[in-house]
Amino acid sequence: MQSSFSYRNHFASFLIAAFLGTILVILLPSCNRGGQNAGNAITVGVVLPITGREGKPGQYQKEGIELAIKQINDAGGIMVKDKNKKLPVKEVFYDDGSDQAKSASLVERAMSSDNATAVLGGYSTALGEAESVMADRYQTPWITTGAAASTIFSHGYQYTFGTLSPTTLLGSTTADFLGSLVDQGKLKKGLKLALALENTDHGIDYGNGIKQWIQQHPGYFTVVFSENFELGSPDFSGLLQKVKAAKADIFLADAHLQDYITMQRQYLQSGMYHQMLSYGARGPESDARKALGKGTDYIFAGIWWSKKLPYPQVKKFVQDYTQFTGHEPDSWYPATAYDAMRALAQAIEAAGTTNKTAIRDSLRNVELKDSLLPGGTMKFGPNGQVANAFVIVQNKPEDKVDIVYPKDAATGEAIAPTPRKK
Amino acid sequence: MKRFVGNFQPLFAAGILLVVLLLPLLGLTPNVIRILFITFVWITASLAWNLLGGVAGQVSFGFAVFYGLGAYAAALMINAGVNPALSFVGSAAVAALASFLIGIPTFRLRGPYFAIATIGVSEAVRVVMNNISAVGGAGGLRVTERGIFRQTEHYYAGLAIAVLAVCVSLLVERSKFGLALRAIRQDEDAAADVGINPFRCKLWIHAIAAALTGVAGGVFADYAAYIHPQGVFAFSTSVTILLMPVIGGIGTIWGAVLGAAVVTIVEEQLVAVFPQVHLLLYGLLLMLIVLLEPDGLVGLLRRILRRMHVDPSSRGPDKALWGRGRLEGREL
Amino acid sequence: MTAVDFLNLLIAAVLLAGIYAVMSVGMTVIYGVMKIVNLAHAGFMMLGAYFAYELFERFHVDPLIGATLALPAFFLFGMAVHWLLIRRLPKSDQPTLSSLLLMFAFWLVLQNVGYLFWGNMDRSIFTPRTLKVLTLGPISISLLRLIVFFAAVLCVCALQLALSRSWYGRAMRALIQNPYAAQITGVDDERIARITFGLGTAFAGFAGALLAMLYSFSPDFGRPFLIRAFVIIVLGGLESVSGVAFGALVLALVETFSILYVPAGYQPAISFGLLVVVLLVFPRGIGGLLERKWRPA
Repeated sequence: MQSSFSYRNHFASFLIAAFLGTILVILLPSCNRGGQNAGNAITVGVVLPITGREGKPGQYQKEGIELAIKQINDAGGIMVKDKNKKLPVKEVFYDDGSDQAKSASLVERAMSSDNATAVLGGYSTALGEAESVMADRYQTPWITTGAAASTIFSHGYQYTFGTLSPTTLLGSTTADFLGSLVDQGKLKKGLKLALALENTDHGIDYGNGIKQWIQQHPGYFTVVFSENFELGSPDFSGLLQKVKAAKADIFLADAHLQDYITMQRQYLQSGMYHQMLSYGARGPESDARKALGKGTDYIFAGIWWSKKLPYPQVKKFVQDYTQFTGHEPDSWYPATAYDAMRALAQAIEAAGTTNKTAIRDSLRNVELKDSLLPGGTMKFGPNGQVANAFVIVQNKPEDKVDIVYPKDAATGEAIAPTPRKK
Repeated sequence: MKRFVGNFQPLFAAGILLVVLLLPLLGLTPNVIRILFITFVWITASLAWNLLGGVAGQVSFGFAVFYGLGAYAAALMINAGVNPALSFVGSAAVAALASFLIGIPTFRLRGPYFAIATIGVSEAVRVVMNNISAVGGAGGLRVTERGIFRQTEHYYAGLAIAVLAVCVSLLVERSKFGLALRAIRQDEDAAADVGINPFRCKLWIHAIAAALTGVAGGVFADYAAYIHPQGVFAFSTSVTILLMPVIGGIGTIWGAVLGAAVVTIVEEQLVAVFPQVHLLLYGLLLMLIVLLEPDGLVGLLRRILRRMHVDPSSRGPDKALWGRGRLEGREL
Repeated sequence: MTAVDFLNLLIAAVLLAGIYAVMSVGMTVIYGVMKIVNLAHAGFMMLGAYFAYELFERFHVDPLIGATLALPAFFLFGMAVHWLLIRRLPKSDQPTLSSLLLMFAFWLVLQNVGYLFWGNMDRSIFTPRTLKVLTLGPISISLLRLIVFFAAVLCVCALQLALSRSWYGRAMRALIQNPYAAQITGVDDERIARITFGLGTAFAGFAGALLAMLYSFSPDFGRPFLIRAFVIIVLGGLESVSGVAFGALVLALVETFSILYVPAGYQPAISFGLLVVVLLVFPRGIGGLLERKWRPA
């Protein structure tokens, strides 16, 4: 059933050859993006997803890094003692499309072909784990701005760093917060917890953190239901039915934004109620507010950073970021990325050289004294991961968000138990 | 001139092989070696799929299941201390075994139903692997690395399996078995009428293809040192595996090889150079190829050669390498 | 589990079936007539979602009206896409690899268009209707899901009617049954194909707009739905529109109730397992059984 005329054959050949040729011509000279400026700039590779499942947080982290780079370059660059001048930072960015194999490949590319002095990236643990392999292979410092699983840092790698505290700590902080509410008398002792965790490393670690805390603090809570669900489900009726049947007092879920919205809508529509409700690290996102309206009230979340933290550097960051991107920081995403870049710059300056091993050594000692993160300072632990505290935020009515835990960072009182709707 | 073309291909192939063998010694950047390594892995998977989909005509959309099983098998064995080369054999064995389990029920189905069933199987395995914590579950699986990373080791491992895949493909194409497969592709019932057992033939080629894909997965796992169900078992992995021989020229060996090389390199460069529009460009390229030259790059080359009055299809065995115009109207 | 819980769950499953049906209809129509597996279906749904979103955000058009407007808009869009791209594919009475790859490539293009225009933020539509619930005693039904269910019923019935009554429907059925004979009797297959593709795209856009009310979306939208649509049209018998309703119901019931007996993480595996089992036991889908009694469509 072919319908080929001879001019079509010629035209087809020509068009494809032209297209391929154009692409090759455009692509080939740009094969080596970092190499040309070897002496005049510090190349920093940034590998983050801006498309695919993790595209949105990846985008925000990219913005955080780019703000830091802009501020560094506006001040002339990073002072490198052994070259006796300030060198600007050159960013080489790759989108890994939320795909681990690509992510690892692109990090390798940045470290080898682009001569990156360091690489930042790895949003989400799966991408981070895949990327972390490359750091020691190419002896290039790698700082993850979005991967929190402590397993990444437990392999004895020497060049891996991370600005996110472990997710297990997030889980135990959440449990700690709830425990503090019991101590304050707002909640009774012996309450039952239901856990519905997304089937990812994040969900698993979060659940483990909570369960560990409960084991270490007997008498406070018992887990009566715990299951992992698959991401991207259009309907959670069955799962919520199981949660209902468990007759728990507190419901702790852990989900990506899409599932948070779907699940919470169905939760509200089925008239379910729990004394405390959380979706892990999700809660105060503006997109969720837009999708759920009043349905987000009283939900609390454990996050790595909040723009409400009462530090002057946080206020300044929020201002700068809003000016730079045109929108306010969403949740915690840009902060860990921003601080990672600043810590890197500080480490390079302290090392006085662009030698990667020296920078790595410097990173081990660097302390960011005006860090945005809770606690106000940031230092990499012996395994490369930071251990800053988490903040628990709670959505309050009228679109307000308060930090409710820990005490020294709190901007408001926790409301517990959640008021019942009449 | 025609005789030159006839002798041309084996020499050409030998020349490429020699160059590729010596490349690492020429001091190429690690990045280029990495790209070539990935290309070799995909060449292997591409040739494997081509055996089942191109030669035997059974289009599978779930080859990621073999890739993933091979990756996990190799990972688990390497972690247990087994020699990597042996682990790759293990990958092949596991994948081949799985292919029997999958093929026996699904080969009763024809055409689109078979294709969809393969998707179902692959996705089901992905979800199951995502839940089994013993092999890492949703946290993925680390592969313990043996000492310093020697990239050239992996490079040659990749090259070895690619060459193996080419040899297997050549063997199949020139054998009676290959003839039987091509008969099955054209008309399964007629083939049965002349005494071929389509069911058994399909099972065997499925096993061979699965084994090769499994080895590719294993070699990849050894390099990447970390695998995750959402990566190796992904539907997009299955699509990539089938895209390569189709773009290169389905049913042909050169096509599978060329397709793998082009897809790997073009995709990598597009992502790197055009982070905002790489999907668009990639999609446009695919559309152009499907609409204008369904026989893939090999078909394009044939047209160009024909215009130069060089007829590549003049010699019998060359048909195996150059193909005969097989995608146009090609059915699932 | 109490009777009330069971009933609630059953209703939830039926409503979910409505969602599944409305999103699969488009794909079925295109497959039945043109034997093209439309992987770009997810892309059209995504565009439909953004269509409703833009109308809602900029012009404060109620998303239900937006969804209704999507029908003619996407019908025209689908016909344009067919004229530009699809008709250049080699014709066959079996699904071809080229059609599959073309639609896949087009989906990539649509995704990127989505990213360029709207970025990768998750969007959603929130109206006073979003969280409303109808309560009949102890039973609560989400208003929006009920609306989507009725829209789905309307779609399927309208299509069924169109197929059995209109000249277009008869031409379509003729093409499904025997393309060559149909052409001999004067059916213009290219015109019918164009209309069919437009129709399929219209339903995809419509479904996307409706689903935009229920879920948040980004240019990546549609992937989990696409795979489920596959399962449904196979369950329903790839060429049967009423089969779609049936397939959607079966899948929704299996998904909703299987979670009760199996850890939630394994639930998609059950759906896929179901797909494979059905393919093996009823190779022409459950709808194929129905087909033996009635004529196709």
